[in-house]
Amino acid sequence: MRDLHANLKTRHALGPFEPRRANLGFVTVPAERLRGLLTELRDVHGFTHLVLLTAVDWMEDGLFQLTYLMNDRAGDRTLGVRVMLNRDEAVGEDMHDLWPTAATYQRELKEMFGIDFPGSPRVDEEFILEGWTDLPPYRRDFDSLAYSQQTYAERPGRVTHDPRAHMKSKLYPEG
Amino acid sequence: MSLREVLTPFTAWKHVLDAPVTIPDPIGREAAERYRGFHQNDMETCIGCGTCEAICQNGAIDMVPVEGQVTEKGDSGLRPMIDYGRCCWCALCVDVCMTGSLTMSNEYTWVDTDPDAFRFIPGLEEPWKDKEAGYRREGGRELSGTKRSHMGELAPALRGDNFSEICAGFTREEAILEADRCVECGLCVATCPAHMSIPDYIAAVRDQDYDRGLQLLYETNPFSEVCGRICTHKCETSCAALHEGDPIAIRWLKRHIIDNVPMERRLELVGGAKPANGHRVAIVGAGPGGLTAAYDLAREGCAVTVFEALAAPGGMMRYGIPEYRLPYDALDRDVAVIQAMGVEIRCNMRVGRDIALDDLKRDHDAVILAIGLQMGRGTRIPGSEGPGVEKAVDLLRRITAGEDVPVPERVVVIGGGNVAFDIARSMARLQKATHGTVGVTLTALEDRAHFLADAEELIEGAEEGVEIIDKRGPQEVMRDASGAVTGLRSWAVTSIFDDQGRFAPAYDQADERVHEGAMVIEAIGQMADVSLLGAELTEALDWNRGRIAIDAGFRTSEPWLFAVGDAVKGPDVINAVADGHRVAQSVMERVSLQEGIS
Amino acid sequence: MLSFQPDRSQYPQPGPDGRLEVDLETGKYLKLWQGPNHPGITGNMSVELTVCGDEVVEGKTHVGYLHRGFEKLMERRTFIQVFPIVCRVCVPEPDFNEYCYAAAVEELAGIEVPEMATWMRTLILEMGRFNSYMMFLGGISGSLGLGLVGQWMTYVRDLMLDRFEELTGARIYHMFILPGGVRGHLPEGFAARMEEVLQTAEKYLADVDRVMFSNSVFRLRTEGVGVIDPALFERFGVTGPNARAGGVVKDVRKDSPYLVYDQLDFIPASGKDSDIFTRVKVRRADIDNSIGLIRQILEKMPKSGPVMARLPNVLHWKIPRGETYIKGECSRGEYGYYMVTDGSGYPRRINVRGPSYTHAMALLEHLIPGTNISDVAALMVSLHTYPPEIER
Ligand SMILES: Cc1cc2nc3c(=O)[nH]c(=O)nc-3n(C[C@H](O)[C@H](O)[C@H](O)COP(=O)(O)OP(=O)(O)OC[C@H]3O[C@@H](n4cnc5c(N)ncnc54)[C@H](O)[C@@H]3O)c2cc1C
Repeated sequence: MRDLHANLKTRHALGPFEPRRANLGFVTVPAERLRGLLTELRDVHGFTHLVLLTAVDWMEDGLFQLTYLMNDRAGDRTLGVRVMLNRDEAVGEDMHDLWPTAATYQRELKEMFGIDFPGSPRVDEEFILEGWTDLPPYRRDFDSLAYSQQTYAERPGRVTHDPRAHMKSKLYPEG
Repeated sequence: MSLREVLTPFTAWKHVLDAPVTIPDPIGREAAERYRGFHQNDMETCIGCGTCEAICQNGAIDMVPVEGQVTEKGDSGLRPMIDYGRCCWCALCVDVCMTGSLTMSNEYTWVDTDPDAFRFIPGLEEPWKDKEAGYRREGGRELSGTKRSHMGELAPALRGDNFSEICAGFTREEAILEADRCVECGLCVATCPAHMSIPDYIAAVRDQDYDRGLQLLYETNPFSEVCGRICTHKCETSCAALHEGDPIAIRWLKRHIIDNVPMERRLELVGGAKPANGHRVAIVGAGPGGLTAAYDLAREGCAVTVFEALAAPGGMMRYGIPEYRLPYDALDRDVAVIQAMGVEIRCNMRVGRDIALDDLKRDHDAVILAIGLQMGRGTRIPGSEGPGVEKAVDLLRRITAGEDVPVPERVVVIGGGNVAFDIARSMARLQKATHGTVGVTLTALEDRAHFLADAEELIEGAEEGVEIIDKRGPQEVMRDASGAVTGLRSWAVTSIFDDQGRFAPAYDQADERVHEGAMVIEAIGQMADVSLLGAELTEALDWNRGRIAIDAGFRTSEPWLFAVGDAVKGPDVINAVADGHRVAQSVMERVSLQEGIS
Repeated sequence: MLSFQPDRSQYPQPGPDGRLEVDLETGKYLKLWQGPNHPGITGNMSVELTVCGDEVVEGKTHVGYLHRGFEKLMERRTFIQVFPIVCRVCVPEPDFNEYCYAAAVEELAGIEVPEMATWMRTLILEMGRFNSYMMFLGGISGSLGLGLVGQWMTYVRDLMLDRFEELTGARIYHMFILPGGVRGHLPEGFAARMEEVLQTAEKYLADVDRVMFSNSVFRLRTEGVGVIDPALFERFGVTGPNARAGGVVKDVRKDSPYLVYDQLDFIPASGKDSDIFTRVKVRRADIDNSIGLIRQILEKMPKSGPVMARLPNVLHWKIPRGETYIKGECSRGEYGYYMVTDGSGYPRRINVRGPSYTHAMALLEHLIPGTNISDVAALMVSLHTYPPEIER
């Protein structure tokens, strides 16, 4: 994998290689180099299998990370290709021509993270949610607890006690 | 398609005559031995620590008071109530349970028309309460550590002839490991006389935020250098972790925090005192009781003067507790912070000799007595009067003061408490340094299992060469013709208390021994020296079984006079600290009241 | 030949945005919803069909009926608290979630799992695979009107659930594999009771062979139907038995061995016709593999030893920043957990890769046009779809 990285590094402006296991590593690539890298990985180096495509929200850094997990079955190698997108205007590049399944991932990412993939088939169609109007729910700033508290009623009658405070009230209320 | 493929499927008809495989009545079908069914809780072993609630990812558990469960040391009296509308039967609550009280039966059918019935407190009346079958975690508690983290100590061979501190204190790695084991239930807080925020400062160690840790310590205790080393640490006896493992080393973690904040930073974090409020308070005695009160009052803006009879502040922390447990410079650092609040400590000022109590009364708005117990009690056995028989606290004080103390090759100590060990181990060190050998015999009434001293004192004392003999009652100090002490004659103890539980040792006189020694040291208790009061005040004050009587606010019967510490309550530093805060509060109430009047 | 050889030129082609312009007003086309309540659908999913006569012009997969936002829920739970919810991502074969999650946590936290636990995990996973296939056989036969097999398989599956119950303490959501190891050892006499189940299973499976594979109706309706061109496999993320039925012997257990698979003997089942029949056949053979593997594991596994590693106090457990991907061969293909940690006490992100995500979405939608309405159910089931792993 290190050899592969050395081979691709300058051509695709790759970041440092981050090995995880002997057969798994990660690398970051500038968005504009993504298509070239994925195509070469697929067509030249045996990484024909797009295992998954998903996003990670690094809200604090104002970034979305897209992860394309690429697998070379014969060589038992998996490479995680990362692309960092500006979170405010998150637009990724459509890859459905390379893997038709990418369209599904991209549709989900649009819905769940609000990352757009112009040109991806049916990217605006609802995928999992129906009539959703709130923030894309997999964004870190979508508070699922608050949402559920607003949306669903708590069953009344539940009270709990903190052991430490309870002991104080019982044993030394004066302090 | 062959005919065979048309006909073969019909072979299925052969099953027509089979007995049905379904269970006709599944209600009552016994589930597997380790099935995770309805909860059970052994109410007696449960300590209400709430760790089950903390781990429940469904928020299905509430801790609630239950009739018949008493809130007491080490038990919050709360018990888990489980909402089966939310429970997912993962049994993490069972796995994490600190005592193993929470388990699951293999019962899984329960029909009720009242939905609230399914919010229930296991351990009361449920039919499966005592069922044996069901999920119990395999092995011990695995989701939080059970073993105490290692801490470096001076090996016996390296410490036997000197007073160097034995405990090294945790390294960061050790401390983080230890702090990690705490489940933050807070059961310990009630047990700590000062109610220190133990789980919070342990969390600060985990988070490596020593500044926060130090601030938390100072909220309740200005003696963390001291308590981090020699506290009687009763908190650790109500730690939830002790039920299936070692209790958290709360004391060492406290020390670890203070070890990691340099002096200047401590002063910054603690901050200065409030502006002067014009009130003057005198405190007699610079032990932990007096100095804690001084610290609080000075921070409130009072002008505080502490009068101390001895040459240096600290009381028994300096003149009693040996240096190998509590080095003087550690104590000095605690005292320095107190002094930095503006507290004036006037040493070599024995009240009643160098200055009169009346003078203090005249010049101050309030006076606090914090005089401790300075006089050793004697056994009053034949031969115990005269040279060669010493009181433990006197000897310890002289050792600290750097005075010459006689170091015979053989010494006998009477007593099995911590003070007895302190003097025995101190003498052992001096003997080793002087003679190269140790010859200390410690005799106690109690049997080994019931020694009043901490277990580690017995272990470490033995390591250092102290001969520990249990169940011996002292009868006579033996002297030769010249009057020099030659040993202690003792009888075997058959019982210590009578039927009514009163102290009345009984002996087997046939089992008599003489423990050889040129010095006998009595370490059987201390009493207060109240001569400073003078006859008039002694007469005027209320007394309670030989001690100055006080109320809950540590007020004596004289409105200007307060009393705190060993002299009135005791028995240890952390109690003196806790009560020091309380007396300071009472004093503040009084002086603010005076302000209102004037 | 009864199977369909569609001439797509008659139908309107979808535009570049993937949308198909169909004018329902003409009366030539009809919208037909297969599911979400349909016996031919394994779980909560529907396929929106556009038909022309009884030929399907277009099919669109709809999911979301069972969306519980698991990946979000996981981000809000501590590392130990995630453990009880992961199994719920996939009802019929929940254990893969437990394994992948636990292994991901262990890798990122640097925890070494005791050997005994890896054997137990393998056993659990094979038991789960077996059960998943029981449901599959019931499903595929049901979708072709052969209800009997479903009844038999439900019974056999139930016997295996009994074994799950005694081993793990639960029947469906076992919550047995947790970060650090597994929750217990084999109960006394487990191997003998398991052998009984396996023998009963073999008896019933022999019956299945007779009523299903030696059944002219079944063969007519599945042979040559729903053929996936192996050339599509890589582009459509086809893994597991779906690929193996087309001659591409993908099996993570062999391609990238995990747990103790490198110490076990088996040859992944495969075929070459890539039609529904072959896919079912491959799975049927894989059941035999699982049975064999369960026997091997029970024989070869250590007889004693710890099953749990020492964990830090799980209430304060923080895992350093990192990311990893853990995969395994589930009954439907490649199952995996992609996990990202940020140094806090909570996962930053967990993405569950279930094989149905590609099989039942892009691939199914690609395969459907030109089929006969009555074949859609079998086609879909033959891809072995578990909708919850699509929507999670
Ligand atoms: C040998 C020994 C070992 C101990 N070990 C521990 C231990 O490990 N852990 C623990 O928590 N506790 C221990 N204790 C108990 C602990 O030291 C005391 O409980 C604590 O010091 C009491 O504090 P205090 O302020 O009441 O009195 P003291 O600490 O006794 O201080 C009283 C001070 O008042 C001064 N004083 C008395 N009379 C006058 C006067 N007339 N004028 C001026 N000054 C006066 C004394 O010189 C002394 O400095 C030990 C005690 C002893 C004797």
